[in-house]
Amino acid sequence: MKRWLWVLILALGLAGAQTVGNEPPPDLSPQVFEIAKKLRCPVCRGESAAESSAGVTEEMRRQIAEMLAEGKSEDEIIQYFVDRYTEWILYEPPKRGLGLVVWLAPVLGLGLFGLGLFGYLKAAARRAAESEAVSDDELARVEAELGREDVP
Amino acid sequence: MRTLLGVLLALALGALFWWGMQTKDERSELPSALAGRAAPTFDLELLPGARTAWGERLDLSDYLGKKPIILNFWASWCYPACYEEAPILEAAWRRWKDRVLFVGVNTQDEVDKAEKFVEQFGITFPNVYDPRGRVGIDYGMYGVPETFAISADGRVLQRHAGSIGAEKLEAMIREVLP
Repeated sequence: MKRWLWVLILALGLAGAQTVGNEPPPDLSPQVFEIAKKLRCPVCRGESAAESSAGVTEEMRRQIAEMLAEGKSEDEIIQYFVDRYTEWILYEPPKRGLGLVVWLAPVLGLGLFGLGLFGYLKAAARRAAESEAVSDDELARVEAELGREDVP
Repeated sequence: MRTLLGVLLALALGALFWWGMQTKDERSELPSALAGRAAPTFDLELLPGARTAWGERLDLSDYLGKKPIILNFWASWCYPACYEEAPILEAAWRRWKDRVLFVGVNTQDEVDKAEKFVEQFGITFPNVYDPRGRVGIDYGMYGVPETFAISADGRVLQRHAGSIGAEKLEAMIREVLP
């Protein structure tokens, strides 16, 4: 009986530990992390302020929570960080100016790749068709050769 | 023709890769969003060692607009960059203290460790304690150490990210001198 009790406690503990690992800390709402996801971690590379465990991002999340409690909108909160860090702080570049190039480059790249692939496949198909086309003279010659071989 | 194009493409990709590897940390190249704007103010507790000379707290608004300020963000855990620049900052402060105010902002640190750092380098300019790193965010700081030059009329003129050398610091001071 005692052993079962220990197994139960252990199972509950493991389940609890998993929940804690996957969820934001209880003192910050998921909305804080939604906004933090749109901001870059200033001291990391390629991490958002939601994922990073750096001290500065902890403070950023805390400030986001405070501003939400004051009734500020998401746009106002993001603007607060842009005012301090420029648009560099945005995790995704804005879809205008130079930022637009970043958004369009992959589409342009894919388009060029598609065009290149289409050209290559078309040329390959043409080459294959050319090699398959056999002239009448050639056919007659081959048939004659075959006919000769048939004769014992 | 095709071989030539392939070689050129490979060379271009190689050059792009090499350039990417050579590029410096972009954060040190970024201009401050505050450049030319009024310096954000703060009112924070001073580290214990500075209280005899400067009082319990330092309110930056008491000094803004009166004399140029060199604002330095640092932490005792920031090794080696903060350790390299500390003697340079102290030497410059001793030289310029009649004309420029130096203020250190100890960021996201522990008081005893910060105090030990101040004692180790014999720092005599005032250092405030900002455990949350709130002031750093107000200044758009990317990471310690970072130094800002504030003009006599209270505007942020320059930002330097990373350990500051004597020459660069001197140039910043000369820029903010009236």
